[in-house]
Formats: sequence, C-alpha cells, structure tokens
Amino acid sequence: MTVLILTSEEDVTADMVVVHLNASGVPVIRLDPADLTGGVSLSGEYVHGAFRGHLQAADRLVSISGLRSIWVRRPGTAATRAAQPSSWLTEESAQALYGMLRGSDARWMNHPDAARRARHKPWQLRLAQRCGLPVPATLITTFPQAAREFADRYPDLVVKPVSGAHPQDPPRAVPTSRVAPDTDFTAVAYGPTLLQRRVPKRADIRLTAVDDRLLAARKATLADADPDEVDVRFASSDLPWQPADVPPRIAEAVLSYLREAGLSYGAFDFAEDADGTWWFLECNQSGQFGFVEVETGQPIARTIAEWLSRPGPEPHSRVNGSTTRVC
Amino acid sequence: MQPFALNYARPAVDLEATAPYVYDTGLQLNVLFDGRVAARDFALLRELATTTSTAGSKTHFDD
Repeated sequence: MTVLILTSEEDVTADMVVVHLNASGVPVIRLDPADLTGGVSLSGEYVHGAFRGHLQAADRLVSISGLRSIWVRRPGTAATRAAQPSSWLTEESAQALYGMLRGSDARWMNHPDAARRARHKPWQLRLAQRCGLPVPATLITTFPQAAREFADRYPDLVVKPVSGAHPQDPPRAVPTSRVAPDTDFTAVAYGPTLLQRRVPKRADIRLTAVDDRLLAARKATLADADPDEVDVRFASSDLPWQPADVPPRIAEAVLSYLREAGLSYGAFDFAEDADGTWWFLECNQSGQFGFVEVETGQPIARTIAEWLSRPGPEPHSRVNGSTTRVC
Repeated sequence: MQPFALNYARPAVDLEATAPYVYDTGLQLNVLFDGRVAARDFALLRELATTTSTAGSKTHFDD
C-alpha cells in the first residue's frame, strides 16, 4: 500500500521523510493539489454500491483504496497552476480531491477537519488549559480599553497574530513582539489583537509529537539576550537546538492535547522560565521539524516515515449493520 | 486605521529564491545541481535555512 504526500515541490523538509520511505521500500506518491488539472489527475466512480478512485501524478498511478496513509504537509491551493485557474475551478478541484480522499480508509497526518480546527490559536489556548499545560495570561480583543486594562495588570506584554498568518500584499512577517510601556492601544479597534504576558525565558522549547512519540529540543537563551528579542524565529542567537527530556507532566498533557485535538502530529512551542516551567505558546499542526533534526540529529523524519508506513486498514464494508472484511 | 499587530510587521524573507536544488518528478525529491539528494545534505540545509521555522515565506505558513 502507498503513502500519499500532499505538498509543494520545494518542500525539502518533506524530502527528508521521502528518503526514509524510499529506504524502507514503501511506495510513495507525492503531489501538489495546485497541479490539478495539469500534472495531477484524478478519477473516481461510485457504481453498484462501491467506490473506485485513482490519482495520477507524473507517471505514477495509485488507487485510493490502496492508500495506507495521507500526509498533508504543505499542499498548494487546488488547481492554482491550471491552464486557466479560477476560484470556481479551485473549489471544484478541492472538493473532488479531498472529498474522495475523505472517503478512503487511510490514516491521516493530519485529518483536514482536525487540522482546520487546530489552527485556531484561541482554541489551542483553551485546550492547553484543559489539558493542564501552563498558559501565559492572554487577551484577544478589539476593545482598546480592554487592552489598556490588561497592560495595567500585566505591564510586560507581547503581541502576536491571532491566526499565525502573515500579510501578503506586500509579503510581510509579523513576529511575536514586545509591547513597549505606554503604548497607544487605539489601533486595537482595527483588528483582533492578541496580547500575552511575556515569559522571561531561559530557553525556547520545540516539542515535536508524532503520535505518541515526543521529541523535544531546547534552545537556551543567552544570559545577556535583548529582552525585546522575543520570537526565537527572528532572534540573532547562535546557540544551538539541543535534545531535551520532556517532563512527565508535560508529556501527559501533550498526549492528552493530541488526543483531544484528533492530531497525529503537532509541533509545540513552549517558553521555559527561570523555574524550569514550560509555558505553552502554541501547537502548530504542521509545524516545521527539519531545522530541529538538522541541529539535534533527532530522528523526527524517520519517526514520521515509520508512522506513515504502518500497515493500512483492512478494507471493510458494512453489511446488515455489521462490519465485514472484504476479500 | 492599521490593525495594532501590523505595527510590528517586517518584510518577509523569500528563502526559496536562492535554493540550489530542483524538484525531480521521477525521484519525488529535490536534487542538487550535482545530482545529490538535497535532503541528505544537512550542512547545506542548515546553511540555507530552508527547513527552518521562519514565518512569512511560501513553505512556512504554519511554522
């Protein structure tokens, strides 16, 4: 049975997993939904109570019933590279592709429904609280007065995007940034704003979870680091990421989070404070892992490949209300 | 009228523009110009930072 990887061609991080799948002899088909209906084709028929579907990318043809797992990595928007792209064609193509795949018995990393829900940061914060993860005091608001009062209670704040998305016209990044004292919060009225108590950190933690396998890495913060450099992605530190042990209570909470979220993969970001407490910042359901593996040597790509390689489900059909194996 | 968070925006980095590899549809992998598989060259990946969590670029929308 085959592993389907939905991602862009330039996703070299996905390559790290494909290398392991190739080494273990597991068939792989990799395609970008953006290439529908050019380099990628699909077909499915629902006849006599059964479904038969196929996908083709380049010269590879695979039966949808022959998929053991589907890795939704960094897929492009469906049909955006078609000869005559349109929003209508994108919707048609996305419905056809993901609709057929949703009908397969393959395991997902991660299922689109779970992924969509898991991208909501406010939902993440609440789930993290319920799972017992420490969450810094946070406010999401369009009320300038609420922001001012929050700043009175928590004078040392950071601001970050609610969605994690970044403006594209022109392309910009919005790093987590420290909010200066006496900041004017009037512009809070022009867009939902996420303010969070800054955690004075001695390290950043990236915990990559692949099902029940937890691989944590720690990047220490320099003692003389600029406290305005909040976002590790934009910090100038040369200190390396190093493997770290996961405290048992955190491990238990993270596994609970994954179960509740219906995720088989998650990249958790924590800030470690001076007491050693790991403060939950976010969980990216498709977070990057390549940079961690490159620096720490942790076998994240291999672990993902092993999860994707597990035998697919036995094909079943429902007969008279009971589950019957199809031979 | 700009939302508060955009006061902290900065130009995005386009990492893909400088990648010294190209996708091989037969291998389903990115291949360096000398034929080697890019994903096996960790030193290069570290140098290029193409696997890094750096928000705002094409393949890093969900870091």
